[in-house]
Amino acid sequence: MHGPAGTDSHWRDGPWQKAGQRLTAHRPAAAGLTVLAALMLAVAAGLVAGGGPVGAALAAGHQSLTFALFAGLGGAALGLLWAATAVALGERAERAMMTPATALTGLPLALALPLAGGLLGPERGLAPMAVVTALIAAPAVAVVARDELRALLRREFLSAAQAAGIANGRRLRRHILPNAVLPLAAAAWTALPRALMAESLASLLGLGLPEGVTGWGTAIGAAARAGDAVALAGPALLLALTLWALHGVGDGMRLAFSTTGGHR
Amino acid sequence: MSGSEERTPLRVEGLSLLTSRDILLDRLSFAVEPGEVLALSGDAGAGKTLLLRALASLAPKGITVLGDIHIRGRRILVTQDGALDPLRPLGAQFTELLAHQSGMDERTALRRAAEALERFQVPAAARRLALHPHELGEAMRWRAALALAMAAEPALLLADAPAAALDPTQRVRLLSDLAAWTREAGTALLLAGRPQPDPIQADPVHSGLADRRLILAQGRLEAPEEEPTPAPPPVEPAPSGPPILSVRDLRVAFPLGRSWRGEERWLTVVDGLSIELAEGETLALLGETGSGKSVLARAILRLVPPVGGQVSWLGTDLAAAPPEAMRRARRDLQILFPDPLAALDPLMTIGAQLAETLESLRPTRSPADRAARMAEALEEVGLPTAVLDLHPGSLRPAEAARAGLARALLPEPRLLVCDEPAATLDGAERADFLALLQAIRRRRRLALLYATQDAAEGLRMARRGLVLLLGRIVESADSAVLAAGARHPYSRALVAAAGLVRPALHGDPPSPLRPPTGCALRLRCPLAHDGCAQVPPSLDPVAPGHRVACHVAQDEAQDGAQSGGKAP
Ligand code: SF4
Repeated sequence: MHGPAGTDSHWRDGPWQKAGQRLTAHRPAAAGLTVLAALMLAVAAGLVAGGGPVGAALAAGHQSLTFALFAGLGGAALGLLWAATAVALGERAERAMMTPATALTGLPLALALPLAGGLLGPERGLAPMAVVTALIAAPAVAVVARDELRALLRREFLSAAQAAGIANGRRLRRHILPNAVLPLAAAAWTALPRALMAESLASLLGLGLPEGVTGWGTAIGAAARAGDAVALAGPALLLALTLWALHGVGDGMRLAFSTTGGHR
Repeated sequence: MSGSEERTPLRVEGLSLLTSRDILLDRLSFAVEPGEVLALSGDAGAGKTLLLRALASLAPKGITVLGDIHIRGRRILVTQDGALDPLRPLGAQFTELLAHQSGMDERTALRRAAEALERFQVPAAARRLALHPHELGEAMRWRAALALAMAAEPALLLADAPAAALDPTQRVRLLSDLAAWTREAGTALLLAGRPQPDPIQADPVHSGLADRRLILAQGRLEAPEEEPTPAPPPVEPAPSGPPILSVRDLRVAFPLGRSWRGEERWLTVVDGLSIELAEGETLALLGETGSGKSVLARAILRLVPPVGGQVSWLGTDLAAAPPEAMRRARRDLQILFPDPLAALDPLMTIGAQLAETLESLRPTRSPADRAARMAEALEEVGLPTAVLDLHPGSLRPAEAARAGLARALLPEPRLLVCDEPAATLDGAERADFLALLQAIRRRRRLALLYATQDAAEGLRMARRGLVLLLGRIVESADSAVLAAGARHPYSRALVAAAGLVRPALHGDPPSPLRPPTGCALRLRCPLAHDGCAQVPPSLDPVAPGHRVACHVAQDEAQDGAQSGGKAP
């Protein structure tokens, strides 16, 4: 399309492939990806088969993971939008928008979810809880994403494109956006473990997922109150494993994709 | 004979380093005598670091070491990062090392440490011993690392590219001090270079920095050939005619936010510079970190916005130029970046990027014509057309530099702005690239602005030179005049450092945030007097075509002119 170069013949050496190789070369990331895939399958299988303490733990996983996925994606989208807007609006607006984000990341935001759960009362719906979780996950994503965008905008090939007289719109489409995808994905990923953690903590206290929806946190809380060690072990282990896998993949993504050098 | 061999701190016989697949170093034999300085150079990846690690018995896992290494006495390896323990103050590191190696008590060790720092001209050395490494600047950290190594009185010091990130005037001074000390103490010093614009890669023997030089190439050691002194470049007639590029009073500054009193603070990087360039003229911008040379280069192409002044190309003020005129100017003005690999979009193939440049700057060309142009440009820089299909990630630095040059040549520019274009290259590759650049410039009669911190290289590439310090011109003259008789103390230091002669500047450069009053060089200048602190010197002519901003140099020139006037 652009020039005689065909990317297909060199797909093995392509930059995307190399990024993928960098990701899987990081052991915890590779292990985390495997674990996550296995968990998905197990949860799906557990839903079909059901029954027993293992089936119950897997079914609870379905609720927890779905909630974390939606709330996390929401938080990621919000954080990315936050950072992109800040960077796009120029220096002064950026400072005004990012200072609160940085301040918020310093607070124990996860505690806001049980608080909201308590305020909303037992009749709370899933959607408001998901929104609060997303809000909790967003600031950290915004801070990392802003750093990534700033680092990207400083890269030399953008100056080179400018020297080649490439107009701003085209520069954004052809050079900035494609190069932003991976670092921003790494930033966005951090919202997933954060959302899962916040939800489980709140549910454990009985102030998270609304009644009738049983997540891992809810199951752990119920088992702890009943003093049932066997019922507690399943969801606790699965939750720990999932969090570990999510963090492993997140670390790998940061190391493999980040423009800032993964120093955060 | 055997007596002297007993004393030889390092003797290597038939040393080979092998992995299961490759021979990394092949039967090396050499020796370093007490008090001798041996410089080891070679292209990037030639195995210098590996050799040093093997000599320190730190060869990485999976590498087999064959042959004999005889070491008499203590050896110390200073690694590329000048390793100091980041968590402990300097003094503690000295006392620990000295107590461990010579059983010295703390008081003596601290005294020894202060003396060692003073040998590297560290002021108030005793007070610095309480500091942690991160509280020291890069230059000071290197002085501390080398002083720490020397305080232990090793028989053999292995230094892997010491202080490679420092500016040449600081670095050459540090290395000269180190060499003087090892000679005096009878320590054998093995100095390796690194893949950066590197004084050690120039010839350290002529300048007396090193006693001998060995080159590591393809895993073997070679003695350097007697290089014929490069023939002086053919004297080109001074280009005449009206200037095509004229820069007037250009100022570039970056906002630093507000101070606590609410004033805007600015970091001024280019401070009222004026340059004129005629068709086909070549001009070197010489200066170190913070001199503003690379920001100036970018401001001329409007890659960074100036806050004041004017850049005109062929009489058009670029700030006010409408998009169409700007596009035409971009066609004429092209740039080479210091890291050519970083200047290529990692996600696009080289072909796509060259095509994009052509499409943008020469939109009227037909696609077939474009393809032909691209092939021509690649041939001109000596790259195969297969490069078009590659992504930048699979290029070596030398290839990336050539691809960058090809891209710059595509729109058929008239002025090439180079910002340290060979900074990532080394040894023979560097020389080849610069020769290519010079040949292309001659053939195409390009005007050239060449920014570099290596005075020798800049003066070889260009007919005229400007020396920049903290965003101002301190001296401007023909290259031959600057090379042989620079008048400004800073220009002299730059020229000296390029020839690996110890520059006569003390201390470290001042922070650009708080430049000294009066002359910017005042705190480092050997000639400074009281007047220098009060009145900043202006750039005034001292001879036809030669201008200097220095009180002392201007007075000397005046005296010279007066006495010259009286003599006949
Ligand atoms: S003006 Fe004074 S301080 Fe500045 S370079 Fe000249 S002698 Fe040195």
